[in-house]
Amino acid sequence: MNIIETHDLCKQYGNAMRVSHLDLNVPEGSIYGFLGPNGAGKSTTLKMILGLVRPTAGRIQVLGNKMDSRNRLAVLRQVGSLIESPSYYGHLTGEENLRIIQTLRGLPEKNIREVLQIVRLDGQHGKKVAHYSLGMKQRLGLAAALLGYPKLLILDEPTNGLDPAGIQEMRELIRDLPGRFGMTVVMSSHLLSEIDQMADHVAIIREGELVFQDSLQALHGRSSHHLALRTTNNAVVRCLLSEKSLDSQEEDGFLILPILSDEITAKITYFLAKNCLGVLRLEERQKSLEEIFLELTGKAVSL
Amino acid sequence: MKLLRLEFYKCRRRKIVLVCAAVLAVELIWMGVFLTRQDAENLQQGWMLLLYNLTIVDAIVLPLSVATLASRNCELEHKGNTWKLLETMVPAGRLYKAKLCWGALVLAMLLLIRAGLFLVVGVYNQFPGPIPWRQMGLFTFVSWAVSMMVYALQQGLSLWFVNQAAALVCGILGSFLGILSMLFPAWLKRCEPWGYYGLLSFVGMDWEPATGATRFYWLWPQAADAALLVVWAALFLAAGRTLFVKKEV
Repeated sequence: MNIIETHDLCKQYGNAMRVSHLDLNVPEGSIYGFLGPNGAGKSTTLKMILGLVRPTAGRIQVLGNKMDSRNRLAVLRQVGSLIESPSYYGHLTGEENLRIIQTLRGLPEKNIREVLQIVRLDGQHGKKVAHYSLGMKQRLGLAAALLGYPKLLILDEPTNGLDPAGIQEMRELIRDLPGRFGMTVVMSSHLLSEIDQMADHVAIIREGELVFQDSLQALHGRSSHHLALRTTNNAVVRCLLSEKSLDSQEEDGFLILPILSDEITAKITYFLAKNCLGVLRLEERQKSLEEIFLELTGKAVSL
Repeated sequence: MKLLRLEFYKCRRRKIVLVCAAVLAVELIWMGVFLTRQDAENLQQGWMLLLYNLTIVDAIVLPLSVATLASRNCELEHKGNTWKLLETMVPAGRLYKAKLCWGALVLAMLLLIRAGLFLVVGVYNQFPGPIPWRQMGLFTFVSWAVSMMVYALQQGLSLWFVNQAAALVCGILGSFLGILSMLFPAWLKRCEPWGYYGLLSFVGMDWEPATGATRFYWLWPQAADAALLVVWAALFLAAGRTLFVKKEV
């Protein structure tokens, strides 16, 4: 079952189409990475799912319910969110901040202590949030999102601005959530490495358009292996190999061949040597995830 | 009720009491200095003198005070980017209402304490005649009503603009126009929101140029002006609420 489904979702600002005909399918229990370069429309999409931004066109279904102005808040009772920077009252303590959400949602008071423990902020009694580090504020934002133990957690760039230790800590926290609490996590990022380390499903968005959506495994499946051969005369070699029914493509001074067995590779090098064609380089290559991302988005990847 | 209670909870450590105390202190000092400069003849009309001058002080002090209170209450949401969190739990219209009710209660408490303080001032200075309870009560209510109309305007601005300078500049302009409007003809006073402090006054004054004598008298604000006040308030409420609810966060 899909916990979020969007159909033909669009958002237009003036003449600019920020999100265009988006069909997202988020499987229940997954960590769904929503990947795209800065300005691709990730935050706008997540805000539309939460009803904070009105779609220009399209339909959104969350937890099996069609989202509209009447049932939006009822559906969102089972959704926790952390959009862009964390929301907080700097002049209040972390506990006081959570008490506001607990009161608004009508949740038991014990949840405050529990989520503070989960995000490891339970030792910060009496400290105003304005004096927290960015990592602590981000964790407080996560605690606020977790307070009602929602079925669905929507996190928009949750590691943005954190130092490496903070990023690692946040990753561990998020990775544990589906297993510990049965939550589905939708997490946006412009960092491919982050999604690669955490998600099991991926959607890639470019200039508001969905360019890939499948499991992370399927994305890795695109990184096909091949052989790259450089010889003293690539053009002649290409003709000779073609006569032997072995197609190749020339790319940056290399002939790109499909992956071959050791035996056939040895035969080819012997055959070329017999025809007085020197082999300068023979490499086994694999398309990296970065290259796939670049291919799909047409933009340089952030690492 | 829950949302209103939370508004007070959120305003902890926002020094709202200090702002209110400052407003009362300014009014007390102003009136204190004014009363000490009055001769015995003027003090014979003590209660009317007090209410007449309180109207003037209100026109100067309250527009900026109201702007400050509205700004203190709305700024905390902008500062902490909390709209996108709150609006996943509560409809924007209810948030607007809770903030307005918070302002109404704070202003009511402030003006009630102010009325009590100036009653003590009157009794302490032994103003002749009975205490004009009715006028004092109505004056306090009208101050609150005009302040609420101004509060609706200020809340709209404070919610719309992230930078509170716009709302506070409007408050300063209000204070300036408030006192300036005392010199305006009635029709011009009706055209600007801050003029209603003077327009709905309960005390009139005649000044005799030949003798320099001043005579105060009780008067009743016109019903049409009270109705116009309601129209202004409805206009600011409708515009402020619509803009806030339609604003995407």
